[in-house]
Amino acid sequence: MSASGLDVGSEQITAPPRQRRRMSPVVYLYIAVGALLVVSLVRVLTGAGNLTSSGTVSAALIAAVPIALAGLGGLWSERAGVINIGLEGMMVLGTWGAGFAGYQWGPWAGVLLGVALGALGGLIHAVATVTFGVDHIISGVAITLMAPGVTLFLAKLYFTDAPGGGQKQSPPIDDVAHVSVPGLPSLLDSIERKGWFFVSDLAGLLRGLTTDVSLLTLLAVVLFVVTAYVLWRTPFGLRLRSCGESPPAAESLGVNVYKYKYAAIVTSGALAGLGGAILAVASSQFRDGQTGGRGYIGLASMIFGNWRPGGVAAGASLFGYTDAMQLRGEEAVHALLLLLGVALIVLAVVQVRARRYVVAGVATVLGIAFVLWFLFTDQVPAELVSATPYVVTLLVLSLAAQRLRVPKWIGQPYRRGQGT
Amino acid sequence: MRRMRGGTLVAIAAAGVLALAACGGSGDSGAGNQDSGGGSDALKVGLAYDIGGRGDQSFNDSAARGLDKAKQEFGVDATELEATQGETDAQKEDRLRQLAENGFNPIIAVGFAYAGPVGAVAKDFPDVKFAIVDDFTEGVDTGPNIANLTFAEHEGSFLVGAAAALKSETGNVGFVGGVNTPLIQKFEAGYTAGVKAVDPDAKVQVKYLTQPPDFGGFNDPAKGETAANGMLDAGADVIYAAAGGSGSGVFRAAKEKGAYGIGVDSDQYNQPALADVKDVIMTSMVKNVDTAVYDFIKSVNDGQFQAGQQVYDLESGGVDYSTSGGMVDDIKAKLDEYKEKIISGEIEVPSTT
Repeated sequence: MSASGLDVGSEQITAPPRQRRRMSPVVYLYIAVGALLVVSLVRVLTGAGNLTSSGTVSAALIAAVPIALAGLGGLWSERAGVINIGLEGMMVLGTWGAGFAGYQWGPWAGVLLGVALGALGGLIHAVATVTFGVDHIISGVAITLMAPGVTLFLAKLYFTDAPGGGQKQSPPIDDVAHVSVPGLPSLLDSIERKGWFFVSDLAGLLRGLTTDVSLLTLLAVVLFVVTAYVLWRTPFGLRLRSCGESPPAAESLGVNVYKYKYAAIVTSGALAGLGGAILAVASSQFRDGQTGGRGYIGLASMIFGNWRPGGVAAGASLFGYTDAMQLRGEEAVHALLLLLGVALIVLAVVQVRARRYVVAGVATVLGIAFVLWFLFTDQVPAELVSATPYVVTLLVLSLAAQRLRVPKWIGQPYRRGQGT
Repeated sequence: MRRMRGGTLVAIAAAGVLALAACGGSGDSGAGNQDSGGGSDALKVGLAYDIGGRGDQSFNDSAARGLDKAKQEFGVDATELEATQGETDAQKEDRLRQLAENGFNPIIAVGFAYAGPVGAVAKDFPDVKFAIVDDFTEGVDTGPNIANLTFAEHEGSFLVGAAAALKSETGNVGFVGGVNTPLIQKFEAGYTAGVKAVDPDAKVQVKYLTQPPDFGGFNDPAKGETAANGMLDAGADVIYAAAGGSGSGVFRAAKEKGAYGIGVDSDQYNQPALADVKDVIMTSMVKNVDTAVYDFIKSVNDGQFQAGQQVYDLESGGVDYSTSGGMVDDIKAKLDEYKEKIISGEIEVPSTT
């Protein structure tokens, strides 16, 4: 997981001018192997097995998926030029939908209703921002404020008398099926237990990724691939993105800007709703307030991920990984100080090669500070542990992602015929 | 803002309805008020919940049960208001003030979050009797018209800690706290002491899901499950979930790995929402908020209001461990022995970590 987190870092940095932008898969592989080498070195030095244990990896996957889907939702909307700060609200709608349909007709029905309600939230946002030209932030905030109220009302209406339900929670929902790659788990398990340098870490990583994976997680992965393909490899995607860059130009070429924006925002809501539904199914029930700001974190991972699916996935994974680790055990957080320090120093070296000396300087200082912190303490104060995922994600992504490019027309209303 | 105004409207409407009901009551006194002890003026009880309110299947629901019992026995009128996520102290103060201005007396505030507001409002309404559940801070929420209903959570937690250590085969147990507040630390202190009393070498893994002011840790089963899995992977085989709604995630993790969980606040074995994981909830640290609320209303009803701190401890039955499911039957004798020792003062349970 952290491997992919670090990739992004290096990808953004070593991706100087356009012609050299695309790196071959082999380079990515080297970066991944290098990152894992660093992680396993830190693991061996500190003895914090949780850094690469399969338990951490699979918990990270579960934690990352709702955030990643919210981020992906944000990407669809913002690529079409509409800021979607209502992601959190659309996720909340998704959690309720999963609770309502999930306990009656099974988890997949719950997921469907969650997606539908999320899409409905997106539709409201689209009507407000595209048709009526309401400020994007205002509409989004309104949806985020409204959604918990609406779902609480609906929960009181439908869950109070349901068996095992309550005014603030749905009855239990069954989980969807989990799958494993046949034969692999036991083999990897035995390798992981050996504690060998690198090999066991790789086994832990692979085992976490191939054992007991929810079908909903696989669905999320597929949606990332589909998004990357649709938005960057099809005429539809090109037109949609053109609405986010320059709607007058798009319209002059015959693109129906309103239609594309509607499609983008409704898809955005549907993805956020799916994220919420997956969260509810993974928690086995809808609870009031269970999203806990995951929509906003998704939005942040999209921005640091440079409005690209790979970036969103990496940001969400990094957050999920560190969050899972801090929840699973506090010793690992202490080891993370060293890991973070080393990662920042590596980042600094890469930034020097890209001739960004100020960033490199900041990264070096912070990196050394973290290493010293690691060396002179035995543990991280409990009050700071919960902040780990925020701090790590912020530091790594903000220092790595230095060449963010916002879709040009973002946040501005566009009226039909405005450009002529 | 709109929500606030809605709340005000509801309160006014409710007060109006109650006033009408009171008129109706006095009209046909003999028939309608039989159970209220002879048609005397019924108490008008105002109850302000913390976040979650009636229906949270935990702490607030327990308070609601106490109120319902009082309603049945004394025929009191009651209005219930509830806190919203992320509100300020000023909003809580408004809520209490509203109740007081509308003639409710006594007024019960459920949860330590009301400490400041109760102190402020009680000063302005010296004739109204207030009660606050779960807090006693000298100078903040104390006064001649405030009863502080607190619980000896550390004593109950000591017993479930002892149960955990007696049941654990690995000598390694866990504690998942919802939010790192002094109140939840009290649970942890008692639990750890209980574990160590049985097995001084046992390891207690402690994790709080969130830090204040993020109170999401009481409401996030996914986080509870991840934390519990981490503890189970590190060798724990019994986990105490003092984490409100996040507890269900802890129990699910325990069930999957064949370990035990310990519930909190009410007898969670019997909660319908947890029916599919109840076979791993070996006991619960029961905190009888309903008893406290009922006793308080009764004391006011009988004209025997007492200001100041009232501690509901093991001795008075305010806290206890539950035995539903029969999973602790084999160690019940030992647990009761500890209970006796705590009540007699032979064991002093620490309330801070």
